[in-house]
Amino acid sequence: MQRIFQINGEETECWLSHDSSEMILNTPDGAIPCQLDPTGTPGGYMLRVRGRAHDVRLAAGPDVTFVHVNGKTYAIGRVDPAERLAGNESGAASDRLVAPMPGVVVSVNVKPGDQVEEGQPLLVIESMKLETSLTAPRDGVVAEIPFAEGDSFGLKATLALLAPEEE
Amino acid sequence: MTISKLLVANRGEIAARVLRTAKARGLATAVLRHTSEQEGPAHRIADEVVMIEGPTPVAAYLDIPQIVEAAKRSGADAVHPGYGFLSENAGFVAALEKAGVTFVGPTSEVIDLMGDKIRARAFVEERGFPVAPSAIEDDDPATFVERARAVGYPLLIKPSAGGGGKGMRVVRDDSTLETEIETARREGERYFGDGRLFVECYIERPRHIEVQVMGDGQGNVVHFWERECSIQRRFQKIIEETPSPALTAAQRDEICETAAGIARAVNYRGAGTVEFIYAQDGSFYFLEMNTRLQVEHPVTEMVTGFDLVAEQLRIAAGEGLSAAQADIPQNGHSIELRICAEDATEDFRPAIGDILLLDEPQGEGVRVDSGILNGGKVTTDFDPMLSKLIVYADDRAQAIDRARDAVQNYVILGVTTNTGYLDAILAHPDFASGDVSTGFLAEQAETLTAPGEDISDLLMAAAALSDERLVSDVMQIPEMHRKMGGWRN
Repeated sequence: MQRIFQINGEETECWLSHDSSEMILNTPDGAIPCQLDPTGTPGGYMLRVRGRAHDVRLAAGPDVTFVHVNGKTYAIGRVDPAERLAGNESGAASDRLVAPMPGVVVSVNVKPGDQVEEGQPLLVIESMKLETSLTAPRDGVVAEIPFAEGDSFGLKATLALLAPEEE
Repeated sequence: MTISKLLVANRGEIAARVLRTAKARGLATAVLRHTSEQEGPAHRIADEVVMIEGPTPVAAYLDIPQIVEAAKRSGADAVHPGYGFLSENAGFVAALEKAGVTFVGPTSEVIDLMGDKIRARAFVEERGFPVAPSAIEDDDPATFVERARAVGYPLLIKPSAGGGGKGMRVVRDDSTLETEIETARREGERYFGDGRLFVECYIERPRHIEVQVMGDGQGNVVHFWERECSIQRRFQKIIEETPSPALTAAQRDEICETAAGIARAVNYRGAGTVEFIYAQDGSFYFLEMNTRLQVEHPVTEMVTGFDLVAEQLRIAAGEGLSAAQADIPQNGHSIELRICAEDATEDFRPAIGDILLLDEPQGEGVRVDSGILNGGKVTTDFDPMLSKLIVYADDRAQAIDRARDAVQNYVILGVTTNTGYLDAILAHPDFASGDVSTGFLAEQAETLTAPGEDISDLLMAAAALSDERLVSDVMQIPEMHRKMGGWRN
């Protein structure tokens, strides 16, 4: 099977293989020999990539793997390409603005039918006492704003829908 | 009035921190916990946990009758409010008084006075302490815009009932003054239920310097020196330190004495903080007084050697201050970093998740005041601050090195935190030279959140090799097919 890894907003589709002595991570840019061995500390591993060793701490959640290496912590999103295909009938990711966390709609700046530009603020939400402005993921026309000012919404609720791109 | 049992009416790191001192002083202890709340460090430290309920967890912590009842039910004769929640609520203090329970903090009159930014300012100004040029709407609402204009640009609009930077707007151009006033009014109404405003002259590149004070309510007030809190994002402090790298010894004495003077003028009781805006030319103005223990109080403890919560408890028990001014030193340098569940690369969006692995830094000169436990859950129910990392060293350069080392070794996996961002701030040359203002984080936003070296290969390898399904899949493929890889899609 394959996985899509998401790092800093970039997606890479990979799979693992194995030759007689080591694991190989296959990426569109080439094959990377690698190996992971536990060190004994909680979540601690020695990670070898192309022969270079790195001391890492790692923990895998349901959709994200967290890696601490060289004093920094990284989150790597994991997506199963098959599941993405199955769950994608309601429109492309770039058509939908999904709630990054549960919260309340503070204000709505646009209405269905409005022409918007990428980066234009569509609505302001409040969560954990912080206000966040959510912006259009691309140029387009607003198809639907399902929540009104004052409404509460859950994690991953669709907060705005753009009309599908032509073509 | 002795205290034998203390209820901490708070949660998270501050509840745990207060409980530790209370126990060390031999007090029996109790702490609150909302019915939907995860177990935290405080619940393990306290002798007793009192469950509270409410429509939301925050509402429960703000429910005065319920918390007074919790104090009575647990047999507590004193309540420590921590910071936030009911810590600056005069009604809470009055309700406790009525129930015969001691409030660890100032009188309700002082809380009321200092809680009203406009009255507080007027009080301070009347007694000859420095305040910034301003215009107050309530003085004459009809001429407010005109008087605001007369203060001159740039100016800062603030809600009268405000705090924490909510509803504050900087205006640089006369053409936007009136619309900004209306926006600030709406925000004031939304956040504080009060749309009254005032404006004051906006100091360019200001620093935020505050002074820890402590009074016994009998006329004795001492200060525990200053804290510099200029590293702020949207008026929320992120890194605090002491001593301030901006002050000369003479300026330090002047600002600290001014703060103590203000506290003396209200016959202050308990721990408080007088906040100042400090201009590049060395002038400073009273900003506000916080009538509680501050989030950043540990840096003061590190350089003075005093336990400020112990001082609070002494004063509440009528034992007075443990030291005279001359006995309060300022040795070495301390820095605090606020560890928050947020994604600095996504406009500081609050992050949620399960804490899958927690490994806190330790060692000489490293202190962690934590509100989380391994296996805990970070939700949107509360503030995103998870813990505080405090370091101490002989001088500022060593303290920065120690802070960097500690934050790099602060392992929190399962929820995105700002540790990398904090390290980027510490690594910035302007931070190292101490040449910062409260605008620093906004000015340096891109530099501070720039992606580091691309180590995608390493990260993907780690994610793939720890992905049980990927690994078990490959191990099951017959040898002849393995080399082909990805053969079944």
